[in-house]
Amino acid sequence: MDEDEGMIVCRCEEVAQSEILKAIEEGARTVDGVKRRTRAGMGLCQGRTCRRIVSKIIATETQQPIGEVMPSTFRPPVRPIAIGVLANEKE
Amino acid sequence: MEQRQVVVVGCGPAGMASAIAAAEAGAQVTVLDENARPGGQLFKQIHKFFGSKEHYAGMRGFEIGTRMLKQAEDLGVEVWLNSVVYGLFEDKMLGIIQDNTNIPMKADRIVLATGASENALTFPGWTLPGVMGAGGAQTMVNLHGVLPGTKCLMVGSGNVGLIVSYQLIQAGAKVVAIVEADSKVGGYKVHADKIRRLGVPILLSHTVKEAKGKDSVEEVTLICVDRQWQPIPGTEQTHSVDFVCLAVGLTPLTELGSMAHCQSDYIAKLGGFTLTHDENMETTVPGIYVAGDCAGVEEASIAMEQGRMAGISIAESLGLIEKSAGEKKKAMIRRRLDELRGRPVFYESAADQGGPQSPTGGDNPFRKLPGYPSEERIQGGPVAVIECSEEIPCDPCAYICSREAISVGRPMTKLPQLDSEKCTGCGLCIPGCPGLAIFIVDKTYSPLEALVQLPYEFKPLPKMGEQVDCLDRQGKKVTEGKVIKVTNPSRFDRTPVVSVVFDKRFADDVRAISLRRKGHGRR
Repeated sequence: MDEDEGMIVCRCEEVAQSEILKAIEEGARTVDGVKRRTRAGMGLCQGRTCRRIVSKIIATETQQPIGEVMPSTFRPPVRPIAIGVLANEKE
Repeated sequence: MEQRQVVVVGCGPAGMASAIAAAEAGAQVTVLDENARPGGQLFKQIHKFFGSKEHYAGMRGFEIGTRMLKQAEDLGVEVWLNSVVYGLFEDKMLGIIQDNTNIPMKADRIVLATGASENALTFPGWTLPGVMGAGGAQTMVNLHGVLPGTKCLMVGSGNVGLIVSYQLIQAGAKVVAIVEADSKVGGYKVHADKIRRLGVPILLSHTVKEAKGKDSVEEVTLICVDRQWQPIPGTEQTHSVDFVCLAVGLTPLTELGSMAHCQSDYIAKLGGFTLTHDENMETTVPGIYVAGDCAGVEEASIAMEQGRMAGISIAESLGLIEKSAGEKKKAMIRRRLDELRGRPVFYESAADQGGPQSPTGGDNPFRKLPGYPSEERIQGGPVAVIECSEEIPCDPCAYICSREAISVGRPMTKLPQLDSEKCTGCGLCIPGCPGLAIFIVDKTYSPLEALVQLPYEFKPLPKMGEQVDCLDRQGKKVTEGKVIKVTNPSRFDRTPVVSVVFDKRFADDVRAISLRRKGHGRR
């Protein structure tokens, strides 16, 4: 795995695999835990690409089944939308 | 604020089926979709679908989409396109963005049919331009008419990987290889056979080690993996490609349900966390239903049945249909779902992992199947040979033959059976098989030559009298032949049938052709 550590895992926020591993070393055990420490999953795609990969890394590093790794919580908006549009509410 | 009786999020097969079922019962239904066109993934599916009559089997995906949409519109279903659902809040309140306006919409019942997203795979170089999801590549090619590159490596041998590979070749790309980490092909065998006949190798127990390139992918290095999926050093091979497609599974899009506090469960074989639901497709939040891939990644036919189930259950809960009538319909759906989910079974004679043996060297792996005529019958004149060796939910071949020479019966996963005495070798079944697994073999064509009729879905089509290379089931050239007929009437639905004549000794081997002039389908 060594040579892969510089590899990007979260493309939107450009978070490297080494940063994910460091977050786990520091105690992150959930996708949200990694997200808060590294911003992985906080970009434009809201983690649709990387959250599964992050779960897998946590599962491997902490030796637990992937189904036991807590997925991230989902909040609106689930799609990227401009804040001005959000405020432009129809009566 | 907008108020609706039933709101369906997602206009794919599951969403449309639920809208149709609820509207048929008299519900007022609105379907929301973020895309400019309805149909979800159906509109980029240009292949003929499996399943049974209830799932429009034998029709091409995009035509199923058109038909379902028409049906929904005829029933008065309201369809909002370019409408992004960004949130699902308390009391079944949806947040929608349409035309730069934020529209709150409250619904009595909601169906979540949001589908799934493609999984990524990380390896050094995976962020290079040119590495993309196979579904993304399929959208580019089939919807937008843009070829992502000229030489592709496909990662993953599930149905998505196999079908997209075939369609990339139809569009004019070369697929260098399909790579599969598992020791067996993931998708249906007929799809794998189709792609092998074109000479595309399926490399089992292989994975991607890395992709390299200056501004975009230029080459990719593969490596063998052991039974524990660990790379074996020293087994690397490098291919020059300009795009890499990832077909490594899908993950259900459960965000809206989770936001509304619907419970989800981790089910590995259904793609990960899926929204928990009861037999009526209702989630753990009353009034919120789920259908299709966001309830677990399965086939489109299953998505349609789940949608119907959700629509009928909703109509029942709104008092629009009698309990007994609803129960009757639901019982039929349950029966069909069980049938569709019958696990694929390989038939032992054809279950070898490398696919069909090159028959020049050995035994014909399909000979013992119930769809294969006896050698005596083959010697007696033109006859259908059905090279369908896996129990998959599919039965259009049973309805296509006017002489009823082919039967499948129930469950529809059973292998097709040929009554070779009834078969006249007319060849109507060739374009009728969504798996392109039926051929006509005529060993009586002339004293030295045999004739084989085969499906050929590439352009340009061969011309009458054209000399072509004849390929075996692995796409290997075994002899040369002459095309004597190309039939492509509208009822074949764009699966032209080519009759090719060649040296009789190869009659059991030749199952594909390759044009010598520049064109697709050439190795």
